[in-house]
Amino acid sequence: MPTPLKLSHIILGTLVIILAGSAIGVIYNTFSPSGITLKGNWSPKTTSDSLIVPYGYVEGQDPPAISLDYAMMKFQSKNTVFVDARYPEDFKAGHVKGAINLPYEEFEKYSPGILPHLPTAQEIIAYCDGTECETSLLLARELADLGYEDVKVFFGGWQEWRNAGLSVETGD
Amino acid sequence: MSLLKLLARIITDKRLILLFRIILGITFVYASLDKIAHPEQFARIVYNYKILPGFLINLFAVTLPWVEFVAGLFLIFGIFTESASLLISFLLVVFIVAISINLFRGINLNCGCFSTDPAGAKHGASLLVRDFLYLFLGIMVFFFNRSFATLSALLRRR
Repeated sequence: MPTPLKLSHIILGTLVIILAGSAIGVIYNTFSPSGITLKGNWSPKTTSDSLIVPYGYVEGQDPPAISLDYAMMKFQSKNTVFVDARYPEDFKAGHVKGAINLPYEEFEKYSPGILPHLPTAQEIIAYCDGTECETSLLLARELADLGYEDVKVFFGGWQEWRNAGLSVETGD
Repeated sequence: MSLLKLLARIITDKRLILLFRIILGITFVYASLDKIAHPEQFARIVYNYKILPGFLINLFAVTLPWVEFVAGLFLIFGIFTESASLLISFLLVVFIVAISINLFRGINLNCGCFSTDPAGAKHGASLLVRDFLYLFLGIMVFFFNRSFATLSALLRRR
């Protein structure tokens, strides 16, 4: 058991580390060229057409965000491919009917088997779990960078689709 | 002497504890560097954990790596050794809880433990095992370091 003297020494040391570390961090951040604002805003935001999108989404620059209604409409069209950016386990447990799985976190592994079958003119709708995930956006950016001309993001994702009782399927 | 006692003696040997201290210290200093260099990416990772409220994310992302850095450095040199090992053990418990919460939620996670690069992402369960190992080192150092080869002991002797 630590003596009271030792205990106060431990508390003092802990405070020194926390305060020194935090102070250096804040000072370093102030002068570093890669510094960030201390009070960030990370809440999801709303686009000009009232869609809820992740904080990092840049309207006009990122692939267009679409609503559930629009996704439903596109679902009727045979020319649209839904791409699910979630992990294969989640995909197998349930996904938009006819969607293909291209997990963003394992893009390198899965893309060679998928992308050659997708012409760059193909209309693609990327989605992930819901507004709490960002892999749909990251995947859509990746695809747009690779030359895909018509990529959209359905931020409502699997949650919104399932809750609306739309066509789903399980397995591969 | 029973085998158990022998084992206890080996594992609390001051030289082994010194090794634990150095390993843990270097690990924390190393882990802080990439996060210090890329605060924006690290803040995004903290955001993805979905645990801290939005207004605390950046402050946390700016200060945590430096607290890790200072604690790791203190551990290596043996300054406030108990405090540094206690704080590091506490941080590891926080990391374990944070990773577990997200494993339970099933959220795709970039750990942000050593690197802010998503390519370095690992699966949650192996992260937990690793953090528990570090936690073991931290607890051992806290209880058994006995000021062996520490800067504080060196200064006290003068």
